[in-house]
Amino acid sequence: MSDYAIKTVNLTKRYSGLWSKTPVEAVKKLNLEVHRGEIFGFLGPNGAGKTTTIKVLLGIIYPTEGEAYVLGKPAGDPSNHYNLSYLPENPYFYDYMTGEEILTFYARLFGIPEPDRTKRVRELLDRVGLSRAANQPIRTYSKGMQQRIGLAQCLLNDPQLLILDEPTAGLDPIAHIDIRDMILDLRAQGKTLFISSHQLSDVERVCDRVAILNRGEMVKLGKLEELLSGGHVELIAEKVNEGVLEPIRNLGGRASLHDGRLIVEQPDDGTIDRVIDLVRSSGGHVISVKPYRRTLEDLFVETIQGGNRQ
Amino acid sequence: MNATFALAGATFGEAIRKRILLVILLAALVILLISPAFEPFAGRGQRTLVISFGFGIIQLAGTFIAIIMCTGLIPTEIERRTIYTILSKPVQRYQFVLGKLLGAIATLGFVYLTMGLMFLLITRWTLGEFDPKIVQGLIMFFFQSSLLAAVTLFFSTFVSPLVNYFLSGGVFLMGNLMSTFLDTIQRNPEVTPLTRIPVQILTVLLPNFANFNIQNPIINPEQVLTDEVAYLVQTIAYAVIYMVLLLVASILIFNQREM
Repeated sequence: MSDYAIKTVNLTKRYSGLWSKTPVEAVKKLNLEVHRGEIFGFLGPNGAGKTTTIKVLLGIIYPTEGEAYVLGKPAGDPSNHYNLSYLPENPYFYDYMTGEEILTFYARLFGIPEPDRTKRVRELLDRVGLSRAANQPIRTYSKGMQQRIGLAQCLLNDPQLLILDEPTAGLDPIAHIDIRDMILDLRAQGKTLFISSHQLSDVERVCDRVAILNRGEMVKLGKLEELLSGGHVELIAEKVNEGVLEPIRNLGGRASLHDGRLIVEQPDDGTIDRVIDLVRSSGGHVISVKPYRRTLEDLFVETIQGGNRQ
Repeated sequence: MNATFALAGATFGEAIRKRILLVILLAALVILLISPAFEPFAGRGQRTLVISFGFGIIQLAGTFIAIIMCTGLIPTEIERRTIYTILSKPVQRYQFVLGKLLGAIATLGFVYLTMGLMFLLITRWTLGEFDPKIVQGLIMFFFQSSLLAAVTLFFSTFVSPLVNYFLSGGVFLMGNLMSTFLDTIQRNPEVTPLTRIPVQILTVLLPNFANFNIQNPIINPEQVLTDEVAYLVQTIAYAVIYMVLLLVASILIFNQREM
């Protein structure tokens, strides 16, 4: 069994219009490895190539160059689809059907026989909190309820891999938290989740690793904690003598004094103890020492804006 | 096959709730119901009026419903992205196309059954008889509409709904006229091969929709189809074979299609 839930090798997707001479490269030589059992955030601005990549992984479109593997088999292999599920952005279902009918319909697509089908459908309606609305037509569902029914249809086959496109977009805070909790619950069950989202705070809370795409190219990939750690420690002290600034700067840190309050950004290389000693020996009082951590939003903006300036 | 039938069921369920289709069906039923009232304006007797008018309305409604329903079958699924949740399940593209066609045919079956029952009631009421040949005529028109549905579904795999309306409508019109046109040309010795051969090719390529119209022997019982059973079986077999060919072509195109 492959260690990777998803693997792409130099995956390239080019769209060439009927009349345009220059093809548009939606995805450029993408190399991606998503490990089994992790929650992987797939980020990027609009038009970065995220949805195109997902469509290739699902076999809805075909790569121009390169290869894509899902659960160890070539992307699009229908036998794979018993073990994966997909929730598109703003999912639309046959809205004349009730919640129970739509899940029964998808269960039939999976070939789940009766009586397991009815049992599974009812279990999932209960799990996503829609048992009471089971016999209501989907067109009467709120956005949050539609997203829940979308997630329920993803779970019918008890998949190993879930590909979720903007699972929390447009939801109210309560529905947002519900969906996020369900995602964490799925990880606890050992599922692999591949999440494309603009909701960076959600990604930051749930994902183990992220990749950032820009203009079809991968510009950042790594463990979230490593990407977000700023590599320095922030120290705040007061009642500090101005003469201490120079020795601190000599240790490699950036120190500044504002209204008697010292703020130091020191590289996280073990020298912070010496900075604390210097502050104390100068009669200063250390208020806080904390490792600096960027937010995912900071990282995203830096990465995308930095890339766009090049 | 379970997935194919699930898709056919969903297609049927959605189609019979489409307002435009219900309006056409309802209009056809109302016109059928009031058709005997037109008798004073008919010059050829009540039987001719009731049967030809009834078949005319049923054929027209069936044609419109087949085209309107099938132009959107695939493009709508792509536009609203339902196709992504379907094709990400263990559903092959051929099953999707087949399910759509079966759903469309089931819808036409429902439409023809409803209109047919009304038509039979009207003929029983106005003519005082139940003519089983009317059922034969209805079955033939049902196959005609099913074949048109397959043509429209085929075009929907690669053209937009608007273009499809004109393409399918054009094919239906030409398919109704080509054999008569070819007869006329072949009888005229002045027609050059340069004109005759393209017409012959088109006549072979386009589905012959005119064969399904067996109104004349029903209206005029003195006109008899020679070997009626063979004619009906051959025409139905022709429709089925043509639909299978169109289905295969639709699947081949849809397999390559990127959405």
